Amino acid sequence: MLPVSGAGTGVAARPPIPACLSSPPVPLLPHETGTVIDQDLKTPAIRLRGVRKRFPGTTEDAVAALDLDVERGSIVALIGPSGCGKTTTLRMINRLIEPTAGRIEIEGDDVSNQPPVELRRGIGYVIQQVGLFPHRTIAANIATVPRSLGWDRSRVQERVRELAGVVGIDAQMLDRYPDELSGGQQQRVGVARALAADPPVLLMDEPFGAVDPIVRGRLQDELLELQNRLHKTIVLVTHDLDEAIKVADQVALLNVGGILEQYATPDELLRAPASEFVERFVGEDRSMRRLALATVGDLPFEAGPVVDVDADVTTGLAVIDDHRSDWLGLVEDETFLGWVPREQLVVGTELRQIERFLPAAQVAPSSTLRSALEIIMTSRTSVAVVNDAGRFRGTVTLERIRAGLAGDLDAPTEHAA
Amino acid sequence: MILVTQRNPVLRWSYFGEQWDRIQAAIGEHLFLTLTPVAIGFILSAVLAGIGLRYRWTVGPITLFAAFLYTIPSVAFFGILRTTPLGLSIYTVLIPLTAFTILILVTNILDGFRAVPAPVREAADAMGLSPVRRLFTVEVPVAVPYMINGLRIATVTLVGLVAVAGIVGRGGLGNLIMEGIRRQFWTPLTIGALLSIVLAITLDLLFFLLGRWLTPWARTARS
Amino acid sequence: MSLVLGQRAIPRDTTLWEWFTDPVTWTGSGGILVSLGDTVALCAAVIVASAILAVPVSAYLAHRRLAQVTSAWLVNIGRALPTFAVAALLVPISLRGGYGFEPWPIFIALTLLTVPPMFLSTYVAVKEVDEAAVNAARAMGFTERAVLLSVELPLASTVIFTGLRVAAVQVVATEPIRAFLGGDGLGRYIRDGIGQNNATLTVGGTFLIAALAGLTGITLTAIERLAKPYGVRRLRADRSSRPGETDEVDVTDVAEPAGSHAAAGRLR
Repeated sequence: MLPVSGAGTGVAARPPIPACLSSPPVPLLPHETGTVIDQDLKTPAIRLRGVRKRFPGTTEDAVAALDLDVERGSIVALIGPSGCGKTTTLRMINRLIEPTAGRIEIEGDDVSNQPPVELRRGIGYVIQQVGLFPHRTIAANIATVPRSLGWDRSRVQERVRELAGVVGIDAQMLDRYPDELSGGQQQRVGVARALAADPPVLLMDEPFGAVDPIVRGRLQDELLELQNRLHKTIVLVTHDLDEAIKVADQVALLNVGGILEQYATPDELLRAPASEFVERFVGEDRSMRRLALATVGDLPFEAGPVVDVDADVTTGLAVIDDHRSDWLGLVEDETFLGWVPREQLVVGTELRQIERFLPAAQVAPSSTLRSALEIIMTSRTSVAVVNDAGRFRGTVTLERIRAGLAGDLDAPTEHAA
Repeated sequence: MILVTQRNPVLRWSYFGEQWDRIQAAIGEHLFLTLTPVAIGFILSAVLAGIGLRYRWTVGPITLFAAFLYTIPSVAFFGILRTTPLGLSIYTVLIPLTAFTILILVTNILDGFRAVPAPVREAADAMGLSPVRRLFTVEVPVAVPYMINGLRIATVTLVGLVAVAGIVGRGGLGNLIMEGIRRQFWTPLTIGALLSIVLAITLDLLFFLLGRWLTPWARTARS
Repeated sequence: MSLVLGQRAIPRDTTLWEWFTDPVTWTGSGGILVSLGDTVALCAAVIVASAILAVPVSAYLAHRRLAQVTSAWLVNIGRALPTFAVAALLVPISLRGGYGFEPWPIFIALTLLTVPPMFLSTYVAVKEVDEAAVNAARAMGFTERAVLLSVELPLASTVIFTGLRVAAVQVVATEPIRAFLGGDGLGRYIRDGIGQNNATLTVGGTFLIAALAGLTGITLTAIERLAKPYGVRRLRADRSSRPGETDEVDVTDVAEPAGSHAAAGRLR
């Protein structure tokens, strides 16, 4: 199968980060890159056609006839076992490695027609070892490409300060040297340096591979936040499936020899592995991984064993029988009031009068299914209430989570595309 | 019987005043004979290192040749050239002195370029630095501490070897030493020897400070 | 005290072949055998003295990770010392003390030449011993003394010995300055060649010194190979099979970035 993504495929399945939604996108620098917007939006930002690489002196292809489209503004993760050619593929995009055959286009232009030096100034590049210039200050490191492009001094300075803010580098650090920074800080500087001239395309080779898991998680969050504002086209190489699932809109899973096994959204990869190889690669716990990927908000709305507090007891009993539940939830004006146990539901009493247990188990729409599961497992009611800033948004049960995993969790957020 | 006596002490301080012009000239010649070969040697070594980096297979032969030059005992090198038509000319000293610097400088320059981390080189390429620009803005600066170190060692080595060149009468302070030996007059010998030592340590320190000044990033490293 | 002229003036048209094949050249009071003996004795004494002075102290300091900065500075100053000047400086002092021209001044100067690089290579070698091995030894209850003597030193021995070999070759190549400071040894032929403006003597003397330096290097390399503990030999083979890594790399520096050991202070 040739998993060439159509233009309609979603850029989805990522939990929105509220803080970012509220802040307006950082304006692209007014000077260049306006071209991106003028482009026909159907053209993928990066297109690989029949790209093959065989290194001199070897008999096997490192990458075999690879076709891949990267949609504008999306994050694509290249993942696979060692020797799958993921890094080679990445490095062919900015011509650090020349393909043996095939065609690579960026915004419709064949990269082999552009001088490598100029091509690369328009493509950000971040690597695991960062590769900061040890003899230059942080500021000078970030300024590398703008200086090559001949920006004037004040504009470079302004840009450096702006980027330091974007990636979260303290302004005082700008005059220090790379050796004085921690690994996580260095990687932030690496990202800032790659973004300096505001390239529309960013290539990242295991960018967070060298930092500890906690810092890695934070850097991943920051990358997503950044992407929400900057809308770059990002190709990211990783060997960490969790990272790919967390960060990418589309995952390209490569097999040894650069054979593309599946190109799909993270959820699809986990839900419907295209081959035995993919199934083995994503592992037996792929359902658990999907739980971490999908949120409560991705599940279709369901009220559950819940009635309005002014309903009568008979209705209440009917509802909990329907749901085979031992507890009845009471709601008033979109506010969840609490649970009452079945034995308290005596015909003739008013629901409002019955002593309620406050809802112990609550989740937000942005909670992952995994945390919802955790909460359900430890609650007496076996039901979690979805509470969106005080407003009742339905309930979640084990059964619903199971049903959700069986379906396509991407569907509800398709509108994001 | 050779004696150190009151009339011929190890060091007679008044000699400084009496012979100041000679001493000054000797220091000048010593400096000239040290720094000129270091400068010429550095240029030659940079070219050789450049060839070595460009054509890897040449590194072995270049190093071997430089090591061969380096192992010629200095007195022998001076002595042999002394018996050639070069005779007592300045080249009898300059040629061996330059030859002795090559091994030190080539190996240090090569070490310097090898010390540029591969990721740094890759990052430079990926950011669209042309090869020439990469060389001068990234690789050379990173290699500077190594070059300085090579220059330091070459310089102090030469201060010592210039003194040896006194045996063919072209050795700056070495001339004072040899004069002292021949006439068994200890004051010029002691002055020549002491000033050689002072010169070596001073130049070493100067190059060290130059290195610190040129490489502020190395000073602040956490490690 | 052959200060100005050698015992025997050699006609200037004597060829190298004639000189080398003349028995008088070899035997007799100013003959090669005697000069060779002088040189070998002095060089051997210098190497032994340097090893005794440098290795134990350096190994101990490195084991305790003591005096790293001080050591680096002393080594730097030590290798800045011009051997010829130091030897010359010591001559009148030796004479005043009644010890004569020889051999103390040249002995001390050559020892000062070899102690810094040997100190350095020992320090680096001991310091760079695989930390896991050292920790394992400690974990098994080795005393600090045992850690140093039976783990660190054996593992560092190759590098230390390489440093010693390099120093020995250097001493042999530098020793001829002795002939210009009132002594003899193989350098006398170069001195006499210059004095008599006789190329045959100078070139002949050069050959002899080069041959001795080469022989020293080869002999010590052979001893190094034979004497090495098997495990360390294996280790060594693995290391030197790495591309671009040679013996030289081992004898590097403490505090400085570069360190061609060739560089490690050859001041003749």
